[in-house]
Amino acid sequence: MPPDSAHVQHTLEMLVLKALSLAPLHGWGIGHRIGQLSRGAFEVQQGSLYPALLRMRRRGWIRSEWRRTENNRRARYYLLTAAGRRQLGIETAAWEQATAAVRDFLRLRSVEETT
Amino acid sequence: MSILTDLGVRVRALLFRRSEERELDEELHDHLVREAAERIRRGATPDEARREAALAFGGMEQFTEQVRDARGTRPLEDLVADLRYAARGLRRSPAFTVTAVLVLSLGLGATAVVYSIAHAVVLADLPYPDPDRLVRVMEQNSPTNRWALSTADVTAIREQQRVFEAWGEIQRTAAALSGSGAPERVVVGRVSSGYFDAIGIPVARGRAIEPGDGAAEAPPVMVVTNALAERRFGNANSAVGKALTLDGVTHTIVGVLPPGRGTLGGASADVWPALKLQPPTRRGPFWLGGVGRLKPGVSIQAAERDLASVSDALLPLYTDWHDSAAKLTPIPLSSLIVGTTGRQVGLFAGGVALVLLLAIVNVATLVLVRSSAREPELAVRVMLGARRRRIARLLVTENLLLTLTAGTVGVAMAAVGLDVAITQLPGLPRIQDATLDWRVLSLALGVSVLAGILVSLSPIMGLSGPDALARHAGGRRAGSGLRTGRLRAVFVVTQFALAWPLLVVAGLLSGSFARLQRVDHGFDPDGLAAVAATLPPARYPNAAAVQAFWLVAQQRVAGLPGVTAVGLATQIPPDRSGSTDNFNLVSRPVPRGQSEPQSPWYYVTASYFPALGIDLVEGRTFTAADTSAAFPVVVVSRSWARRYFGRASVAGEQLIQGGCFDCPRTTIIGVVEDIRNLGPALPADAVYGSLTQIAPRSLFVVARQARTTARHAEGMRDALRALDPELPLTVATLSERLDTSLADPRRWAAVLSAFSVVGLGLASIGIFGLMANTVRQRRREIGVRLALGADPAGVTRLIVTRGLAYAVTGSAVGLAVSLLVASRLRYLLYGVSPTDAATFAGVGLLLLTSALVSTWIPARRAARIRPIEAIASD
Repeated sequence: MPPDSAHVQHTLEMLVLKALSLAPLHGWGIGHRIGQLSRGAFEVQQGSLYPALLRMRRRGWIRSEWRRTENNRRARYYLLTAAGRRQLGIETAAWEQATAAVRDFLRLRSVEETT
Repeated sequence: MSILTDLGVRVRALLFRRSEERELDEELHDHLVREAAERIRRGATPDEARREAALAFGGMEQFTEQVRDARGTRPLEDLVADLRYAARGLRRSPAFTVTAVLVLSLGLGATAVVYSIAHAVVLADLPYPDPDRLVRVMEQNSPTNRWALSTADVTAIREQQRVFEAWGEIQRTAAALSGSGAPERVVVGRVSSGYFDAIGIPVARGRAIEPGDGAAEAPPVMVVTNALAERRFGNANSAVGKALTLDGVTHTIVGVLPPGRGTLGGASADVWPALKLQPPTRRGPFWLGGVGRLKPGVSIQAAERDLASVSDALLPLYTDWHDSAAKLTPIPLSSLIVGTTGRQVGLFAGGVALVLLLAIVNVATLVLVRSSAREPELAVRVMLGARRRRIARLLVTENLLLTLTAGTVGVAMAAVGLDVAITQLPGLPRIQDATLDWRVLSLALGVSVLAGILVSLSPIMGLSGPDALARHAGGRRAGSGLRTGRLRAVFVVTQFALAWPLLVVAGLLSGSFARLQRVDHGFDPDGLAAVAATLPPARYPNAAAVQAFWLVAQQRVAGLPGVTAVGLATQIPPDRSGSTDNFNLVSRPVPRGQSEPQSPWYYVTASYFPALGIDLVEGRTFTAADTSAAFPVVVVSRSWARRYFGRASVAGEQLIQGGCFDCPRTTIIGVVEDIRNLGPALPADAVYGSLTQIAPRSLFVVARQARTTARHAEGMRDALRALDPELPLTVATLSERLDTSLADPRRWAAVLSAFSVVGLGLASIGIFGLMANTVRQRRREIGVRLALGADPAGVTRLIVTRGLAYAVTGSAVGLAVSLLVASRLRYLLYGVSPTDAATFAGVGLLLLTSALVSTWIPARRAARIRPIEAIASD
């Protein structure tokens, strides 16, 4: 089953939450950090980050503020809110549950094959 | 929390759209700079880095749009854009916009006015607590014949009823009020102690009438209205405990009603003294109004059964009364108060509903005509990729803008119109309460929105046809869309069908009014004037004093310059008080178990007949010999004689008056010509008793001059005032009195005529718009015909015939509807049949003529089309 856009959306939001849970970042930084953290496994289409950030802002998971950067330029930084942190917890738990279920299921099959 | 955040982001995005956009630009720019810097760090040249950064980002426009979508303000922004577009469109065609707004706002404004009035007068609850538990009790022996209660009735009800938690009676009269200020004539409502309890309105100051106040020997007390207390004593507080003289009897004021309360249970009065009842000796006379408040949960049917058992118990007690069909009957107070007014308001509401419908259909026609002119523009939009739904939304927005503007203008018009209506319709009960409240405003809003959607349906239907695009593919018009063309025809036909009943009803009512005005009253009102006076018992203690005053008054008025004749009467036409009495003919007695006939009954002097110009048909009128000591005599009208004896010659017949079997029999001594005592549309039955035999305190002095002059009535008033300066007097010429009695029919005819003028105008605009548009659309075709040698007169004929066909079709439907409507208005008509052929023919002629004129102008234009220009122009 090819990943539908809602699925991609969902994954992207989870990655953003994780990236922001470590430190506040600006848009480019978020994409960059996701790439770094996943050691290049997730290549985010950079433009698609911005609609996702706005949607998450409307849900109250993140908020934004304009800050001075290291070389004294203005940039919009995104911060995780308490709601966002809770959401990350929910997502992580759900994800682990799902992967554990799939893993168990696959193991079960391999046991049947050996008998 | 999350909903609030969401809303915050959206509202901010909406309010600060520009700065949001700027920030987005800045953020994306920042992104690209960083990406490029990263790539330079990895060894790319600046140019390469910039290009690669843009590639990595993806479609900049696409994502910017996605961000805008994600803001969640899109629907609103689209709406604003649509509204701007709509406003621009409407401004571009001012003639259409002004016409449509004006037509619709007139319809809406009139509807708002009529609805506010209908609400206040008919629909709103009575202003008393739990008004649906209030009932009036009356004697009733057939569904159409009911009358007031007698002392015997109310005594029995008080003792035996089990359904009311409160019960009271009222008797209304007029009296002279004096003491503390100038003497004035006031309306008196004598009430028993239960009356205020039953209505449920406590007094604001002092106390109400109490049971002890009704005892024969109790000192006279009364409650007064707040208005009277302020007028007489400055304020309500100081009135309590003060004394006022009512017809010579000093009454102590014990209480004051709340401000604004002058009407209780449908009866209005200035002063409310305690009602004192003597123990009944016979079943009649019937002179009391009874009002009860039902116990919670008691139905009107239960009350009917309870009161019927009271009637049955009462019947054998009195020998003067045998009408076993007459029962004490409860009638909901609201239905009595609203009564015939409801039908009058219904007439206006029906009329205004037709006008509103006409206005909406008319605007729908205008919108359709306009949208067909815009078909090329819309087709281009479709070809450029606009979805039909988007265009439909655009049309709806535009029409809603139009109708809501009309709604606003209409409400503003209604605000002015309502003030005018309230001053013009003073006869309607509670009309002062009519306001443009939230109900009316939401009605106006609702109708505006509905109208906006309705008028949008037709152009949208035209839009969705499969040929909508093809029609304009070559930039040439092949002819008007069949579908919209047919729809427009339906609209025009509908407008004629709606205009018909308006014109017919207006015509019938006007005809009826004209006949009422021409009715022969039986006397010539010109030159007649009357003064009404009431003699207080304090200064006129006995019959002799009263008789003496009236005699001198008559002489003084007769001595005034120009006066040729003077008479006295208890009532003069038009008699609205309904003075009647019952009687039984000695030679033709009523069978046992049936009620006696009732007739209008007046007391007059012999000189009254020549003063009004009423000729004697048979026998004689009164002489000085007919004193109170002699046997009672009466004169009857020709109609009365014909009704009860079937002949004009009845002198010498005898009757028993007022169910009084012990009294001497009354002899008919003469027959006089009819006059319309009760008003032009009612029977002319009358019995006249002699004023030499009784001495009433309230009388009219009527005097004739050669012609009515303003001085005439004033001279009479001054003559009476010279006799007794403290006497309250009411003066009017007979012409004025008759004029007032025609106020209702005049109003009906005027309002419906105004509606029908609007209806005729709208139908004419509608058919003109349609035919003008047809000619414009078929310009090429007509041009070709003319080029091929068609006769211009033939072209004119073609267009006119088409227009008249619509008008005739609409008229056929309208005729049928009108017959149906008119048959239900029979009760409003006098001397005109609801199917009056002349009225129907006149309406048909008027509508077809206006259709002919309205189509003639575009038809002439069609005949003058120059073929070359027409063919080349498209």
